[in-house]
Amino acid sequence: MPVPARNVSIMNTYYHYPEGTVRALLDTDQVTDATRQALTERLNKQPQTSRFFSETEYTLLKTICERLIPQPDRVTPIDIAGGIDERLAGGKSDGWRYDTMPADGDAYRAGLRGVDESAQVLFGHPFQQLTSEQQEDVLRQVQTADAPGATWDQLPAERFFEELLAEAVGGYYSHPLAQEEIGYVGMADVPTWQHVQLNQLEAREPKPVGQ
Amino acid sequence: MKQYTTNETVDAVVIGTGAGGAPLLARLAAAGLNVVALEAGKYWDPKKDFPTDEKAQDKLFWNDERLSAGEDPLPFGSNNSGTGVGGSTLHYTAYTPRVHPDDLKIRTEFGVGEDWPIAFEEIAQYYDEVEHFIGVSGPANYPWGPDRKRSYPLGPLPVNGAGQLMERGCNEIGIKTSPAANAALSAGYYQEGVGHRPACANRGFCQAGCNIGAKASMDVTYIPLAIGKGAEIRPECFVTQLIRDSSGKISEVVYIRNGQEERQRCRYVFLCAGTIETARLLLLNGLANSSGQVGRNVMAHPGLQIWGEFDEDIRPYKGIPGALISEDMHRAADADFVGGYLLQSIGVMPVTYMQQMARGRGLWGQDLKRAASAYNHVAGINILGDCLPYEHNYMELSEEKDARGLPKPRVYFSNGESEERMTAHANKVMREIWEAAGAKNIWAFPRNAHVIGTCRMGNDGDNAVVNADGQSFDIPNLYISDNSTFPSALSVNPALTIMALALRTADRFLSNRKRLD
Repeated sequence: MPVPARNVSIMNTYYHYPEGTVRALLDTDQVTDATRQALTERLNKQPQTSRFFSETEYTLLKTICERLIPQPDRVTPIDIAGGIDERLAGGKSDGWRYDTMPADGDAYRAGLRGVDESAQVLFGHPFQQLTSEQQEDVLRQVQTADAPGATWDQLPAERFFEELLAEAVGGYYSHPLAQEEIGYVGMADVPTWQHVQLNQLEAREPKPVGQ
Repeated sequence: MKQYTTNETVDAVVIGTGAGGAPLLARLAAAGLNVVALEAGKYWDPKKDFPTDEKAQDKLFWNDERLSAGEDPLPFGSNNSGTGVGGSTLHYTAYTPRVHPDDLKIRTEFGVGEDWPIAFEEIAQYYDEVEHFIGVSGPANYPWGPDRKRSYPLGPLPVNGAGQLMERGCNEIGIKTSPAANAALSAGYYQEGVGHRPACANRGFCQAGCNIGAKASMDVTYIPLAIGKGAEIRPECFVTQLIRDSSGKISEVVYIRNGQEERQRCRYVFLCAGTIETARLLLLNGLANSSGQVGRNVMAHPGLQIWGEFDEDIRPYKGIPGALISEDMHRAADADFVGGYLLQSIGVMPVTYMQQMARGRGLWGQDLKRAASAYNHVAGINILGDCLPYEHNYMELSEEKDARGLPKPRVYFSNGESEERMTAHANKVMREIWEAAGAKNIWAFPRNAHVIGTCRMGNDGDNAVVNADGQSFDIPNLYISDNSTFPSALSVNPALTIMALALRTADRFLSNRKRLD
């Protein structure tokens, strides 16, 4: 259901937070054992070889994830594609899917094929061989369901893109390093939160280091 | 905990331990009945099992796949479903407004939809009881609705940043607000049969599970009460069949535990599995559907959210998420839709917020990273409003099978004209509030929340599945107690009303049974 927008005041502030906040808190008694265990496991997880995707599919998915959530400053990027592969290999669902979409695994396989197909039609090369700008161009057209290619006659391109993006974003911002990036320390809840009003911070909540 | 064998015939089997099952279970056990509750999910120990981590807490959601069809497909999983002892109260926001008397008379007032076969006063006495038992925190003088017999047992929870901003914006444009009623404790609370529960830690994590028992989920309120009164909770039991005897009554409940089929003989069955699973079980078994209404009348509250970025530091993960309320739009003077809606301030956890931005705004690349960097400066408001039942909104069993080999439910949902007009009205109102409060980069996330309907109650067995007591018109020893029986969607969050109705259903059952004995 479309909802009309009105004139909106725009703000382009980019907040930057110090590194290491969540990792430091995990070493304190300000997080519960259960929280420490869940986040430490995620933090220490090593990239795996794919179990669901073929090698070609996996490489393509990784490149797409780099465009969706760029991590230029990270030596070891957060492994977004690995999380998707692991879920599909385990046959796990998030509880629902659009009725217009095939089963999750089939949708991913077809969608990846479709992205490559669109790249060929638009730029004459497979997606991997395009420049970053060209890759972004392909993805934008998938997102708006304007991308060419026979795959998209069978698979709703905009839904494929929405599902992929939502899962990628979920995987990324679940990671302690991404949570440091946005200044989130809600996991440090053992001392309780006594300062909950506007502009009130607890000592353990980081302030932005620059905007 | 008392345990019954599958060889004995228990008085009642209760299927599901959420807001519909747990209060009823406690009531039946207190009356001396032998009762067993079958719960599909696990029996968690929140202290040990609930990390403050959204991803790890996915386990609280009903993650068996459902197929979402129609013009406005309903999301499930983290929305609209639950599993585990306590059901979806494990992850509800604990927002507990009461319905208004006119919510129950939509057809009388507007000529569409359905009236309830129950008067407001009958529900209100149970509201008093539930609020005091589970410990609802709320204002001394609630500005909307009829006078209350008893005030809230605890004062309101602290209003967080999002609540302050909503208050500021509403003041500017002349909308009245109040601290909201929430089923989380603003002070330590002791209840006979339950014990001591601590005050809320302002952790803001209600939607992913409270780890200290401050939020009134069923596992820390009615479930311990029920166990104390002699009920058995049997977790990780997935019910597949209801078996009838030659008289047509249900005599056995068949369920899968540890991959094995087990059967529990019983005199009565209370089906409390929620809108989707309750109807699914009846459709699978071809039961209680002489009206043809099982699975029909799916409703879901229009729940448009408006988000904005503010100069102020907010940290939206702190404080009770729904701190502030306004019910000025319950019957807005310029309304061009049926019924009304409430306005609510909302905090949000980071993964939920980012995924909504992904779906709602389609942001990625640098745009996403910038918007995500403003997370600590983000606050939202949303509505929750009535929804009409329509012919085109229903659930069915699909041909596709799930991991258990059972047909996946397919749920059709499209907002009608009334819901679209309500959403447009709310979009305008909330944007005005947020602009007045100083929000920038305002954006809207359209959604429908709380799936309701599928087994509606009524006075006539030709177009309703159960009567006002929750009793099946077709099978006299089958009762339903959950949001599937709501004949209309109401203009408030459903949990409190589900609990109140559960107690009423239990009391009606007990007094009818006494009469028969």
